Amino acid sequence: MPASMPTALPPYVPLHAYLVLAAVLFSIGLFGVVTRRNTIGILLGIELMLNSVNINLVAFARFSGDVAGLVFTVFTISITVAEVALGLALVILIFRVRRTAVADHLDLLRG
Amino acid sequence: MTPVAMTDPGIFAAIALLLPATSFLILALGYPLRRSGRAAGLVSILCAAGALAAALRAWSLETPEGMTRIAYEWIPQEAGSLATVGVLADADSTIMLVLVALVSLLVQVYSLGYLDTEPRPALGRYFTYQSLFAFSMMGLVLAPGFLQLFIFWELVGLCSYLLIGYWYQRPEAARAAVKAFWITKAGDVGLLVGIVLLWYRAGTFDFLELYDLVRAGQLPVAGLAGVTFCLYLGAMGKSAQFPLHVWLPDAMEGPTPVSALIHAATMVTAGVYLLRRTIWLFALTPDVLHLIGWIGAFTALLAAVLACVQSDIKRVLAYSTVSQLGYMMTAMGAGFAGAGFLHLLTHGIFKALLFLGAGALIHSVGSNDIYHMGGLRRAMPQTVIVFLVGTLSLAGIPLFGGFYSKEEILGAVWSGGLAGPFWMLVAAAFLTAFYMFRVVFIAFWGEHRSVHGAHGVGHHLHDAPPVMTIPLWILAVMSVGIGLFFLRHHAEPEFTAPAWLTPLAVGVAVAGILLAWLTYQVRAISADLLARAFAPIRRAALARFWLDDLFAGFYRHVLLDLSRLIGWIDRYLVDGVVNLLSAWTLIWGDRLRRIQSGLPQDYVYGLAVGLLLLLIWVQWPR
Amino acid sequence: MSLEPITFAALAVVLIGSAVAVVLTKNLFHSVLWLALTLTGTAGIFLSLDAEFLAAVQLLLYAGGVVTIVVFAIVVTERLVGDRITQTSRQLVNGFIISGAVLVGVLSFVLRSPAWGPRPPIAGDLTKAIGQSVLTRFVLPFELLAILFFAALLGAIYFARPDE
Repeated sequence: MPASMPTALPPYVPLHAYLVLAAVLFSIGLFGVVTRRNTIGILLGIELMLNSVNINLVAFARFSGDVAGLVFTVFTISITVAEVALGLALVILIFRVRRTAVADHLDLLRG
Repeated sequence: MTPVAMTDPGIFAAIALLLPATSFLILALGYPLRRSGRAAGLVSILCAAGALAAALRAWSLETPEGMTRIAYEWIPQEAGSLATVGVLADADSTIMLVLVALVSLLVQVYSLGYLDTEPRPALGRYFTYQSLFAFSMMGLVLAPGFLQLFIFWELVGLCSYLLIGYWYQRPEAARAAVKAFWITKAGDVGLLVGIVLLWYRAGTFDFLELYDLVRAGQLPVAGLAGVTFCLYLGAMGKSAQFPLHVWLPDAMEGPTPVSALIHAATMVTAGVYLLRRTIWLFALTPDVLHLIGWIGAFTALLAAVLACVQSDIKRVLAYSTVSQLGYMMTAMGAGFAGAGFLHLLTHGIFKALLFLGAGALIHSVGSNDIYHMGGLRRAMPQTVIVFLVGTLSLAGIPLFGGFYSKEEILGAVWSGGLAGPFWMLVAAAFLTAFYMFRVVFIAFWGEHRSVHGAHGVGHHLHDAPPVMTIPLWILAVMSVGIGLFFLRHHAEPEFTAPAWLTPLAVGVAVAGILLAWLTYQVRAISADLLARAFAPIRRAALARFWLDDLFAGFYRHVLLDLSRLIGWIDRYLVDGVVNLLSAWTLIWGDRLRRIQSGLPQDYVYGLAVGLLLLLIWVQWPR
Repeated sequence: MSLEPITFAALAVVLIGSAVAVVLTKNLFHSVLWLALTLTGTAGIFLSLDAEFLAAVQLLLYAGGVVTIVVFAIVVTERLVGDRITQTSRQLVNGFIISGAVLVGVLSFVLRSPAWGPRPPIAGDLTKAIGQSVLTRFVLPFELLAILFFAALLGAIYFARPDE
């Protein structure tokens, strides 16, 4: 057990708990990104990863007292929304052309 | 640069050096002039005459201890210069300069007559090479240090190749030129190694600085024998000592004037000259000097034996040159460089005379073979007279040029304590007289056997034109003049010769002449009987003691096989490595391109792996 | 300080469970629904961290807007293809290994750092503080964000144009 971990459960939730939670969410999102065959499924995984980042930011903002973390989170959410919208628009356009949603078939970048 | 005045011999030596260079440049660059043949010859001869005048002036200004050095820094260094070029004019170099200039001029004048049937552009080429040779040889003679000496040494070798192979359309001539180049190059490698080793020990190439070092005893003697031996190798190649003498007889494929100039008086004497120049260095390694003496004597005897069985007059003279070079080297080996150098000078005169005379005979008869000549004393009296003068000089008869210098050598060798070489030289002297007069009796007396087998004196046999006979007479007069000079003025000898030396030397020479007379003129002794008596030696001599075969075998089996081996290594190992590397590159490129699947998810894998590596790297020191 | 660890634990369970469901559900539509739950859970986490404004933004934009957009996309693409797209996943084991490795890496990093202690008391109104800093300290990113939205809008209009 690392020395920084408290041996008994304290009456408050430590910062590390939030960080661990965010890390777990991140890795689950990564798993989704590399595993899903459907493009929209991949996007869902990305959403999870972005979410975990936001949790991290807010936790740090709270524990350090600097409001910058919260502002950063606002920005992140905004940009994510824009990205999702346009990304899905792209997906739809590709489907119109290629008639497929399966990411395995979108390998035009093959070297 | 040391300040010079009009009375400075160095200036004249430099002029003598630069005139042939100018002639060469004019002829090399001026193509129309060269193509006109005789005009090119005149340019070259003019410059040669000027060079002779300058050389004579330089020599006359020289005092026995005087020395002028004009040097230019060629490759500068932090402390002093790495290489200097220039002119070192002292008593030795100026007299040698005179010899080179004189023989060069006479040979070039003679060539106008000898090569008159040559096509004009070829004649122009000939005189270009002659000028280059004169320049190179003078540069060698006047070199102030080993570096310039070596550069001109190589240039001289190049000129020898060019001139031997003058008639390059003849395969024998081409082969002979290459052979000369190869064999002398073998010696030159030794010379180069020796020069570099010497520089490594002494830090300088310059003769004067080295001399001072040696005088002050600052040159470490340990291991110096290897260095001087390497230097001697160069002399061995150029001056045709055993076993590197094999190129000189073959070099007779070149025109006879070339043989007179290069293979009698000047180029082959470069080795002897080198030894004379640096004898104080060799004096530090007496073992090497002993070796030089023994090799010289052996060469003298060997060549004399070989000369006895030759029927080509030029071959006889070639082996005679090898033999006399052996004489000079033996004197050097005995430690008396002055005697050897003196013989160099006198030999230069009468050997050139003999070659040019032989050239006149060949030009008239149309063949080199002495058995195709005969009875020529009636048809070509002038040539016979001058040739006899040369022969008597070579045999060492008093009143003629070679006698005094030969006796000096014998005395030097005896005083130097080399008894074995001494007797070898005596035997060689006997044989020298014998084979030279064999030629004389066969070629000049008796009935003429023309090339077509008819007897009687052909009416197309006549003496050579004046352009050829005048140089002959000049040389003949000089030969006799030298002989008479030394009869009156005995120079201070560096040694005391035993009283029986002179009678021995003369007696041996006379005995040789007598034997030749008895065998070939009077026919009292049958030549066949002599041949049978010495049959094994004769057979070996006709096969040139299988030395040529040895060299050819070495070339074929060692050199060529080594080349083949190296070629195999280059093709399969060196190229193989390179090909292997390129093949690997292609294979791995092919394999690596599979990670470019075009699927972004695979790239996310890459990202994740990169992230992992980053995390590991950041945490590693803990 | 007012939150008990139990609440946190409950939220964590919901979050992780629904996230796992998002990535593992075969049906894409169900996957999106689980994502909505995840996003709501995140909003709860934000609340537990006293970031009410952010919780609201999260619910509005994420759980509301993004989920809606994704649903629309699924509906449209399903229509295009013609049948229900079943979800199959590729290389599950590899993915598990790589994400597990990343998790271990990050955790080892996080767990070695020293503890921070309890959270400090809130200084004033966080929402007001956000607003003030956006317009003073972070005004440049704010303006750039506006340009970004403008670009996104243009892109969306371009994508939405009818085919000629």
